[in-house]
Amino acid sequence: MSFDAQPIVFSEAILAWLMTAGGMMLLVLGVSFLSALSQGNSGLKMFSSEVGGVLSDLISLSPRRIWALAKLTFIEAYRRKALAVFVVFALLFMFAGWFMGGGDGDITNDQVKVYVSFVLRAISWLTLPMALVLSSFGIPEDIRIRSLHTVVTKPARRLEIVMGRVLGFTLIGTLVLSVMSVVGWIWIVREIPAKAQEMLVCRVPVKGELTFVDRDGVPAEKGINTGDIVDFRSYIEGATKARAIWTFDGIDESVLDSEGNLNLENQFFAFRSYKGDMNHQLLYDFQFRNPEKKISFTTNPMEMGEFRGVRNKIARKLERPGDEKTYDLIKDFVTSKGTLTVEVSCIDREQYLGMARPDLFIRLPDRSFAAGYFKAVLGIELMMILVILISVCSSTFLKGPIAALLTFVLLILGGEDSHKFMDQLVTGRSKENTAVLEQQVKQLEGVYIEAMKMPDSDEKQAAVQAAKKKLQARRIKLETIKNGFKGGGFLESIYRIYTHMNDTTELPEGNPAMKIMVGVDNQLTGFLWLCKQIIPRLATFNNMSEYVANGFDVPWDSALLPCVLVTLGYLLPCILLGYFALRVRELESK
Amino acid sequence: MSQSGQSSESVIEIRNLGKVYRDFWGRPKVKAVNALSLDVRRGEVFGLLGPNGSGKTTTLKLLLGLLFPSEGEIKILGKSAADVAKNERIGYLPEESYLYRFLNAYETLDFYGRLFDMPASVRKERSEKLLDQVKLAPQARHRQLKEYSKGMTRRIGVAQALINDPDLVMLDEPTSGLDPLGNRDMKDLILDLKKQGKTVLMCSHLLADVQDVCDRIAILYGGELKVMGRVDELLKAQDETQILSSKLSPEAIKEVEAVLKKHGANVLKVDQPTANLEDLFLKTVQESRDRPGHRTVKEGAKS
Repeated sequence: MSFDAQPIVFSEAILAWLMTAGGMMLLVLGVSFLSALSQGNSGLKMFSSEVGGVLSDLISLSPRRIWALAKLTFIEAYRRKALAVFVVFALLFMFAGWFMGGGDGDITNDQVKVYVSFVLRAISWLTLPMALVLSSFGIPEDIRIRSLHTVVTKPARRLEIVMGRVLGFTLIGTLVLSVMSVVGWIWIVREIPAKAQEMLVCRVPVKGELTFVDRDGVPAEKGINTGDIVDFRSYIEGATKARAIWTFDGIDESVLDSEGNLNLENQFFAFRSYKGDMNHQLLYDFQFRNPEKKISFTTNPMEMGEFRGVRNKIARKLERPGDEKTYDLIKDFVTSKGTLTVEVSCIDREQYLGMARPDLFIRLPDRSFAAGYFKAVLGIELMMILVILISVCSSTFLKGPIAALLTFVLLILGGEDSHKFMDQLVTGRSKENTAVLEQQVKQLEGVYIEAMKMPDSDEKQAAVQAAKKKLQARRIKLETIKNGFKGGGFLESIYRIYTHMNDTTELPEGNPAMKIMVGVDNQLTGFLWLCKQIIPRLATFNNMSEYVANGFDVPWDSALLPCVLVTLGYLLPCILLGYFALRVRELESK
Repeated sequence: MSQSGQSSESVIEIRNLGKVYRDFWGRPKVKAVNALSLDVRRGEVFGLLGPNGSGKTTTLKLLLGLLFPSEGEIKILGKSAADVAKNERIGYLPEESYLYRFLNAYETLDFYGRLFDMPASVRKERSEKLLDQVKLAPQARHRQLKEYSKGMTRRIGVAQALINDPDLVMLDEPTSGLDPLGNRDMKDLILDLKKQGKTVLMCSHLLADVQDVCDRIAILYGGELKVMGRVDELLKAQDETQILSSKLSPEAIKEVEAVLKKHGANVLKVDQPTANLEDLFLKTVQESRDRPGHRTVKEGAKS
């Protein structure tokens, strides 16, 4: 399990949208106004008449005309054999079972994941190109064969044409997607053997935040890296003070199941420094801790499940044989702020237990597989609408193949990796790293304050020193990254290379040329920022499928809502840009 | 309003219209229309004539807002050419039938009817009426337009132009590609529209068609207006007189010639009038329809 979707920060996202969409709209208006101003009175008259025309078009929108154009688009796509995509789909599903195995009923979680991923990917890889091609060529083809002449010479507004096209392509795409998703769902249910059907569920997790304590009991940025190239999981050393500490917020009695148990599900990884007892897995225990009441309770040792999840049912009443003292899990260990702290430690000496944030969670009652599956399909639908919006918008000012190519390139650039790269280009640093570092500094500050409150002792000295050292290191790193570009922007870099000036040397002060150079660099960076904002972040949509493939329900706030917002974010600008492009172009012009 | 059904009110006013086509870099490539000024009056059939490249189709497209003027002013039905609201009262038949080939006749008219925000019952009623009016065979009405002949496509093109019962109809080469029967039907339709009090603006380079239906014409050449006026006045030979009578014997003709010479007239031509080929063709087709299987080969065709 390496899937760990992070919720988006809505305030930041909405602010970025307002800045990008609003900024571009103001830019277009400003340039148009200045251009009109340069033409004198006639230009200003034309500008005001155009603005009036736009407002009139907005007021005169007719649902009947939009529906007529949508229906036309639907019939056009249907009669041009767009539904032939079903043939490819059918062929894929007729033979896919041959290559995916698992027919004897011996099937694992990973195999279920492959089945679900295959279906969702097949659907998106067939519907998205279809939507892209259809919507990129619709308007340009209309202009080429001049069918659009017979439409724009009727009272149809250009805005209605763009909206009708978007709606029509969405309808045909939705039809294709609906059929494929239902067939795909039936295929999954039929392919998974009866005794493995219980794996087809949507778990509803409550995830916590993860911090570590090292072998000396001092808070650490991470656990130990045992040689993984991908630094996703950290390991804690067995039989030491090393702990992985999860804090779950918003906990109350509702997280318990009908029998009053807390379901803690985990999938830890093992790293063995010696062979040990190969007939048994590594042992670990949970320790519930309430810092307010300064009480804790350690469970009995449990055996980890390597390469499979383990569901621990923790009874609400916490008791140990031979110990009279009992605790109530909710009343005693959930703080006044609703936080439950669970510490995990490895019991086997010199063995290591690996974990990341999503590896331990509270499992609420499951939802049906169908619910999660169709939410993932909704994610594909939203991505398809996004593709249609971009294609239709670009096809109002580009020819079909170029519009298709542009949309395709935007989709490629919309991947998570390219967005990270663009982040670095624009800010000179990785945004994600900064966020992580800021969080770590905050935590370490807390640890430092806690250490200072300890009664005077050698242990306090050691804890204070260790926390101070780590806090300073984190702060220095954060400051370095926050300072942004090393060596400046595009022009400054060229200047530094040409003059053999290293990137830590300050530029000469008081030189106007330098100021101009830095100013131009800032403008270029602003332009890059705008480009980055325009390119959609498609990882948001892919996450939806990942949730279901990993056996989780698709949450509203961190998966569905971001997708809906991204699609809505592109809806208005794309339609307005398409309308504007269609309005100012001469349809007859070659 | 005059006796011919025309009014002095201008439906189209063009003032000093100019259109320059530019290349990618914005440099002038060709001046398609230059300083054009004309008026089209309510209720008349107005013809824009000119050879290929004379600017008549460009003028039509400027009127429709498909192109933007480089200079000058256009008013159609009192509105600017860029105003979409004017299209409520306009019907347009393009030069080629640029319709959606995958729709059938009913779907086509229903689609264009919806663009006029017409309710379903009105759309249905008008579709039936128009398909009858343009004489599109009932068995063809459910076929997709891609299966239509050029004549049939032209008919459905006319029907879509009239779906909103427009006040002003703009026809670009309306008879292009039609057989003589279709040609006659189209001309009858234009005259019928005129009878209904509608204004028709048509572009054509088929002079005979224009002469048959137009009240006034404008001849363009090189994007400029060269001649404009009433067709009958422009074509009238001012220094000649034509007398048409029933058939005369050779002796009678000689006597008439003598009388004419006595009055100082120079007799240029004495001949038997001939029907035009269109009339002969239409008569033959009509006879063939009336008497199926009957074959008549005229003397003149024996060789």
